[in-house]
This record gives sequence, structure tokens and C-alpha cells, in this order.
Amino acid sequence: VVSGHDHLYNLQMLEAAYHRLPQPKDSERAKTYIPRHPSVTPASYPQIQAPIVTNPAFWERLGSDTLSTDMLFFAFYYQQNSYQQYLAAKELKKQSWRFHRKYNTWFQRHVEPQVTTDEYERGSYVYFDFHLADDGNGWCQRIKNDFTFEYNFLEDELSV
Amino acid sequence: DATVADSVAFQDQVAHLFSEWCQICDHPNASDAAYSRYVMQLQHIGLLKGDEFTERFFRILTELAVAHSVVSEQINAPGGLSQQSSHISYFPIDSYSKLVSVVIKNCSVEIGPNKGSLLPKILSVTIRVIQKDAEEKKASFNPRPYFRLFINWLNDLSTSELHHDGANFQVLAAFANAFHVLQPSRIPSMSFAWLELVSHRTFMARLLTGNSQKGWPFFQRLLIDLFKFMEPYLRTADLLEPVHLMYKGTMRVLLVLLHDFPEFLCDYHFSFCDVIPSSCIQMRNVILSAFPRNMRLPDPSTPNLKIDLLAEISLPPRIMSDVDGALKLKHMKVDVDEYLKRPEGSSFLNDLKQKLLLPQNEANVAGTRYNVPLMNSLVLYIGIQAVQQLQANKANASASAQQINHNTMDIFQIETATEFFRYLVTNLDTEGRYLFLNAIANQLRYPNSHTHYFSFIILYLFAEAAQEHIQEQVTRVLLERLIVNRPHPWGLLITFIELIKNPRYNFWNRAFTHCAPEIKQLFESVAKSCGGGAG
Repeated sequence: VVSGHDHLYNLQMLEAAYHRLPQPKDSERAKTYIPRHPSVTPASYPQIQAPIVTNPAFWERLGSDTLSTDMLFFAFYYQQNSYQQYLAAKELKKQSWRFHRKYNTWFQRHVEPQVTTDEYERGSYVYFDFHLADDGNGWCQRIKNDFTFEYNFLEDELSV
Repeated sequence: DATVADSVAFQDQVAHLFSEWCQICDHPNASDAAYSRYVMQLQHIGLLKGDEFTERFFRILTELAVAHSVVSEQINAPGGLSQQSSHISYFPIDSYSKLVSVVIKNCSVEIGPNKGSLLPKILSVTIRVIQKDAEEKKASFNPRPYFRLFINWLNDLSTSELHHDGANFQVLAAFANAFHVLQPSRIPSMSFAWLELVSHRTFMARLLTGNSQKGWPFFQRLLIDLFKFMEPYLRTADLLEPVHLMYKGTMRVLLVLLHDFPEFLCDYHFSFCDVIPSSCIQMRNVILSAFPRNMRLPDPSTPNLKIDLLAEISLPPRIMSDVDGALKLKHMKVDVDEYLKRPEGSSFLNDLKQKLLLPQNEANVAGTRYNVPLMNSLVLYIGIQAVQQLQANKANASASAQQINHNTMDIFQIETATEFFRYLVTNLDTEGRYLFLNAIANQLRYPNSHTHYFSFIILYLFAEAAQEHIQEQVTRVLLERLIVNRPHPWGLLITFIELIKNPRYNFWNRAFTHCAPEIKQLFESVAKSCGGGAG
């Protein structure tokens, strides 16, 4: 017999374990955003996250619509370490946005760069300013002229 | 110098190192470089050499992380009742598991006999901490921090990428060994977390995919651990709520396996049937219904289906379980082989009934007077020998251009095996016969040579039985596997349909088919759903 205990002891311990069941969130990665005041919504509202948000086809649809670019940025910055963040990043890359690892910011060429070397390129870029100031400024696309994008800050691989 | 190492000073040093690490993790600009710098510092202090100090270091870290993560709060309910409620803070556990992942990715032990990865060492430290914690706290043990620790490690250290096959297998095997040590029979207060760990997508699916199936025996052992733990509670069918939840979880895992890895269930069906109590009909049916994915099973209700004509019926199933293990354990394999070769004047059958019984003390634990694994082993072993003999005979027959008989399996060519089955079904008592017929019915699965042979044997036993209670018991064993919800094994359906449709068995004139109105109704409804009317 493998067991070191008798069945009665095992049953008591199983009962104890029943009151400390692993919770779904125990096996999820820590979320940076936790709602501070969760509230009960009417049952007629969806009560769970729609499964479609983990469907790559859904993100492709968002990616093909330029009006939805803000949504991709939202997913990227506010759903960290999630599959959605990965899918959003993938779509942004498809739209020729490039992630700068030093500034944690997405850049897109505004015009063809004036200078291109093996190490960097320089020119005029559109970038997404993800900082939100108290006065409501930010969270918008801005233009940066004469910016040097060093390639060693370029995020190349998307890892899952 | 255990006292030195365990001294307050060492404890303090580790506590200090841990809080330093937590700060690094908590820093908004935490980077790989900062992590590596920290690990180099640990190496420099000499804490990662893989010796006793390394073990103590990780033991104290584990204890600290767990202690910090369990935040107990006393809730005072009205009426002066106070309730312990615990809340888990993930940060300390997540930081600790990250440290281990970074350490394992950055360094391996290179000195002395401890060469290799630190992972097995850290896992064995973790196991000892869990054992001690569970033993001391008993019913107040909290498995959740450990559960999260393992989940984090599985996320970080195992990958689903196939080109890392070899290294990945080492990691998964290390976890499989750890989970085996932590099986529910040993740490019952961790049962639910354990079941979720072994069935987790980062573990089960990865262990069973790739690696040329090297992971299969590891997962088989874990499932056996689970069934053995559940057995005493399922046998008595006294399903308290916690047992019921474990059962439900087990069934879900089996259904995932049936859907995603049916070949795994096929290959090990025999060893699972040894440990699943005979009362768990549906659980066993799920395992016996598994069939290789490339196979198309003919609909059992097709009129005039001739199973003898199916190509698969002459191929043996793959069996990865140790079929004659129980025979060898009882030193009976030689006797069986001897009997099959020279049955004349052998006392094998006469002595057999006694040998199948368990000693009184073991019978009390097992809940049956019979040695079920021995019975299962004997039945399948003799069946396999008979099938091989039959195929050899058939090959000879066609080689010498004699008659080729497609329609009947001439079991009288293998008289000794047939006599063995006939003798046992006649001479065992009700309990023994039930277990014996179950051992036969466990082989009625997808189209293969074993299904064919045992289907033939069980119908033969029905037809030749001198007493009606044997026929009644054969019917019971088949029927009770069909009245439960799906899935039903293909071979089982085929056999039952043959029994009720073929007039040779005179099924509907047997007294037990209409001993009570509800039984009669039951037979008719099963017959209808099987496509065979009450003749």
C-alpha cells in the first residue's frame, strides 16, 4: 500500500482541502490592473469576458480598421501579460508600427527616413503617446521630427 | 555545522536577500540585466553550488515566500463565532518562483557529483517543505501558495515548442516525479490542487505530446496514483461532497484524454482497469471506449455486420501495461505456461481457485476476497496466448492450402484455453465469477484480435453454460455497462447485439429476462436502442 495514512485520515484531509480549493485566479498571471470597486451588474449584461477576445481573427479585424488602432494600444498597455496583448502587438506590427524598448513606445515612419545606417535610422515619425496627464492630455498620436531610432532598441521578436 | 547554517544569522541573511530580490521584481524598470546581476551575486556568495547550503537557502526562501503569501484574517461573525479566512497574496510567491526560473535559466551546477540542473534539487526541497507543512498543519494546511508556485514554474520552464523536445522532457519528467511523491494518498490535503496541476495544460498536454511518447509512462503513473486514492471511497459509493468533486474532476480529465489522447488510454487500459473499482462502470467505459484516431468503427447496429470480415479484427491491440506482472508476482507464470503446453494430468485448474483468493488481512483492505489484478492478468495472458496460437494455426492452414474458415473462430483448436475459461465460469462463486467476467468484458473494445477473441469466449460461455445463473451473470456484466450513459465500447455493443439477436442463444426465453416487469422493460429498451428486437 502506497498510502502512509488510513482512509479516515485521508478523508478528513480531503474535506479540509475542499475548503481551500485552488481558485481560478491562482493559476493566472498577476494582472497589473485590478478593478478597485467591482460591482454587480444586471444579469441581462454579459457577466463574463466574451471568448472572442482571444480569437486572433477578431484582432485581425480590429487591425484592418484604422479607427480601431487606439483599441490595439489600449489592449497593449492595459492588458499586460495577456494573450490579448500579444495579439494586439502582432496587429500593430502588421500596420508597420515598431516598438521602441527604451521608450516603451510604438513608432511608425511618417515619411521615408532621411538617413538609414546599419545601426539606426533618422527621420520624421508618428508615435503613440501613452502617457495620460491629469489635465486629460496624452493618449494620442504625435509627430516627432528628426528622431533617431536606434535598431538595438527595436523589439524584433514577439514571444508568447 | 547544521546548527551554524540554520543559525539565526543565516536565516536573517536569506530574509535580507529575499527582500532585496522582491524590490528588484517590484521595480517598474526591472530588466533581465538586473536579474542576472542578482543571480551572479548569489553565485558569488556561494549559495548556488548545489550543496547543502543551496538546499537550505532554497528551503528558507520557500518557507518565507509561503509565509508572506498567506495573509490570515480573523473574521468575527455575529454571535461571537470567529472564522479563519485566508487570502493569498501572490507577490511573494511570484517573486520567489521568478528567482528560481532565472537561476535555472542562468546557471547549472558544475562542481562535483551534483552536476546538472538545479531543478531536481529545488523540487526536492519544495517537496520536503510541503510534506513538513502538511504534516504539522494537518487540516489547516493551505495548498494554494504551493499550487501557484508550481503553476508559475510550469509556465516559465516548460514550453510547447517542439525543437526544445529533449530539454523540455527533462523538465516535465522532473515535475512528474515531484507530483508522484506528492500524490493524494501521501498529501491528501493537497488533492484538489494536485489534480489541477497534473491535468494543467502546461503539464499534461506537453507531457503527452512529442518526446516520442517518453512522457506516457510518467502520466500513466500519476493517473494510477489518482485512481488508487479514489478507490476506497468510490468502492463504497459513499460520495461525500469532496469525494464527489474529486470524482467529477477525474471524469473531466478522462474525457479530455479520450478526446485528445485516445491512444494513451488504449495503450494503458489494462493497468487502469486493475485499480478502478468494478462499481465505476462509466469511468471504466470512458477508458475502454478509446480507440486509435486513424480507425473508423462500423456502426454496431448495421444489419448483418460481420465482424469477422473487418481487416482490423486480426490485428492485436498495442498494450503498454505489464500484462503478466501480477502472474510473476505470485510466481504463477511458469505454471500457466506449463498448463497451456501440457494440460493432461495438470492440477493447475484445481489449485487455481485457492490461488485467486487474497489472504484475510489483504481482503479487508481491498474490499473483495479476490486478487483482482491477478484475475485480470490471468485472463488477458491466456487470451493473448490463445490468439497467437489461433493465428499460427490459421497461417499453417492457409500455407498448406487447406480450408480457410472466415466465419467461425474454431476455438476447439485451442481447447486448453477454452477449457480454462469454461472451468472458471463454472467453478467460481458469484463474486469470483463476476470479477472473472469483468476481466473478459474489459477486453471488449475497438475492432482488434483481442476484442474478437473475448467476444467469442463470452458468447461461448453463455451458450455452453449448464446453469441459468451463469447466463444471468454474463448478461448482467454486459447489460450494466450498457445502461449507463455513453460512451459505450464498440466490442461491448457488438457482443450484446449478437447475444440478443442470434437465435442460437435463445436469449428471450431465459427466465431472468422477464423475472420482473421493470427488468423486462429494461431489456426491451436496451434491445431497441441496440437495434435488436425482442424476438
